[in-house]
Amino acid sequence: MKSRLFSLAIYISASLSGMLVLLYPFFLPAVPQQAGFGSLRLQQMPMMMTLLLGLCLLVLIFEAQGPMVNTKLIALLGILVAINSALRFIETAIPGPGGFTPIFFLIILVGYIFGGRVGFLMGALTLLVSALVTGGVGPWLPAQMFTAGWVGMSTPLLHPMVRAFTGRQNKQRSRNVNTEILFLAVFGLLWGFLYGAIMNLWQWPFIIGPQNQSYTTGLSLLATLQRYLAYYLVTSMVWDAIAAIGNVLLILTFGAPALRALRRFHQRFEFEYSPDPGAVGKPHGGGLSG
Amino acid sequence: MKQPWAWVGWLIAILVILTITRNPLYLVLILMSVLFVGLSLRKTGSGIPRPISLWKLAGWIIVLATGFNALTSHYGATVLFIIPGKLPLISGRVTLEAMIYGATNGLVLTGMLASFTVLNLALPVRDLISLIPRAFFPMAVVTSISVTYLPTTLRQFQQIREAQAVRGHQMRSLRDWLPLLMPLLVGGLEHAMQLAEAMTARGFASTRPISNRGQVYPRSGMLLGLVLLALGWIAQLGGVGVSGLVMILLGAGLILGGLWYLGRQSPRTIYHRRAWRWQDWLALAAAAIVLCVCTLPLPGLNQQTLYYEPYPVLSLPAFSPWLGLAMLGLLIPGLMELYKNKNEAMKFEGKKEED
Repeated sequence: MKSRLFSLAIYISASLSGMLVLLYPFFLPAVPQQAGFGSLRLQQMPMMMTLLLGLCLLVLIFEAQGPMVNTKLIALLGILVAINSALRFIETAIPGPGGFTPIFFLIILVGYIFGGRVGFLMGALTLLVSALVTGGVGPWLPAQMFTAGWVGMSTPLLHPMVRAFTGRQNKQRSRNVNTEILFLAVFGLLWGFLYGAIMNLWQWPFIIGPQNQSYTTGLSLLATLQRYLAYYLVTSMVWDAIAAIGNVLLILTFGAPALRALRRFHQRFEFEYSPDPGAVGKPHGGGLSG
Repeated sequence: MKQPWAWVGWLIAILVILTITRNPLYLVLILMSVLFVGLSLRKTGSGIPRPISLWKLAGWIIVLATGFNALTSHYGATVLFIIPGKLPLISGRVTLEAMIYGATNGLVLTGMLASFTVLNLALPVRDLISLIPRAFFPMAVVTSISVTYLPTTLRQFQQIREAQAVRGHQMRSLRDWLPLLMPLLVGGLEHAMQLAEAMTARGFASTRPISNRGQVYPRSGMLLGLVLLALGWIAQLGGVGVSGLVMILLGAGLILGGLWYLGRQSPRTIYHRRAWRWQDWLALAAAAIVLCVCTLPLPGLNQQTLYYEPYPVLSLPAFSPWLGLAMLGLLIPGLMELYKNKNEAMKFEGKKEED
């Protein structure tokens, strides 16, 4: 129990520190312009952000992989990341419209079935491996890995909602699957926009643009939000809308059979043999759990 | 030059300078150095070449960044023309300063992309994976499995597509992808099951697990490190420069130290260790010199020339010959590659003559 609480504290601290790095334009509204970046120059900020995000990401990955010296989980993650990276590879070769990308479909589903820890690793490693094989490694990679990891990590939050909704509904299994798919589709829609909005934050404070869209230190939280919203609407809305609609279409079309397949394998992967200490020396002295 | 850490040193030096300077003269110098190294590796590099030509990519990025900034940022004194009307974002003055600023940003982005492309070209994926620290050995295994299984997945996808085409399957809508994707997913999961059994049979993860007690102190250090990072970042943004930086450095030290300590508890066997040769040391030393010259307050160097702003009125960027000369150190990996190629060609010629 203590260990789980400690682990939770590390997850929360790493995620919060990462969010502090990305969301600083919103929580420092009253800092005077001259002193706004301390001893850092404006040009040094992206590098500092990359370093800090990279460190938070390292801690999160270490914590998520913590008890994962389990061959089944390692093999499962390795293969699923390969499949997802192959989808991104195909997408790079035959680009889809706008921000459409098929990778979030599997990240969301794997996070939903296998839990937030595996979902986080699935998101972060998909981005890492696909960047390695497509030559897309760059300073933006930690932020991409972090955000994609959050997509997978946050998916189990749907479980209580789905349970609460299906609890009041007919107990038919097909109806429950449909509800799950609908929830997952809405989740995919939200993350389609959120992923773009979070990734924009990596560069928005440094872009010089029209006054009503660019970041200026010393503004109130509301004014900063308004400016960011204006910037987002003009530059990213359409791009991200295509990504979000793509997520929804993929989940609605392939979600149900993919969920069934992942559930079946989840049961097989959970099967474990553990020796029964009380039955040592007796014939058939082992316990099966699944 | 084969040592991955020497390449990492080279990359870090380039990234740090690219984030510090906005002087187009230095940016062009760095970009040319990176392109020179990339060209010298074109034939001998053992990594993955980028699918698009670097020159084309550089051209596109610079043109796009220049155009985007010129059309959306209407600051600057030298007005080239005015876009009439009330088009959101676009209407207004198009200035030379905005174009230069956009081109400078394009140069920075191209430099970053090009340097990573060169790294991808120089090092095979197995060397990149070997850079993953020991503390992350399960993730290194996952990454190696993924990278190894990726070509198989692509081949499997092709086979499924051909098999479905033979059965008369046609791709008319999104739903028609289902008979392709589901066999790929289920086949992959079956393969994962077999792989897990094979790994267990070969004794993977059969070593004594690290005790919880052995992890408590380093993990506590990492937790404290995260708190210090957050506090240091806030202090840094709030203008409390030095103490903020100290807290960030302390936090980073605690996190990296914790990971190093935990990594030491996981045994690791290296079958083929890359040796450090004099070329690697030379490239690393050159990268360190470039970094020191550009970041440390050394006497006699005009580091102010690194900072350049075209707004509000365009002016010629200043140039320090010493800084420029130091930056030429980034050419060393390329020169080493040319030296190696020349040596090999001479040896080959010598052998031919002997025969």
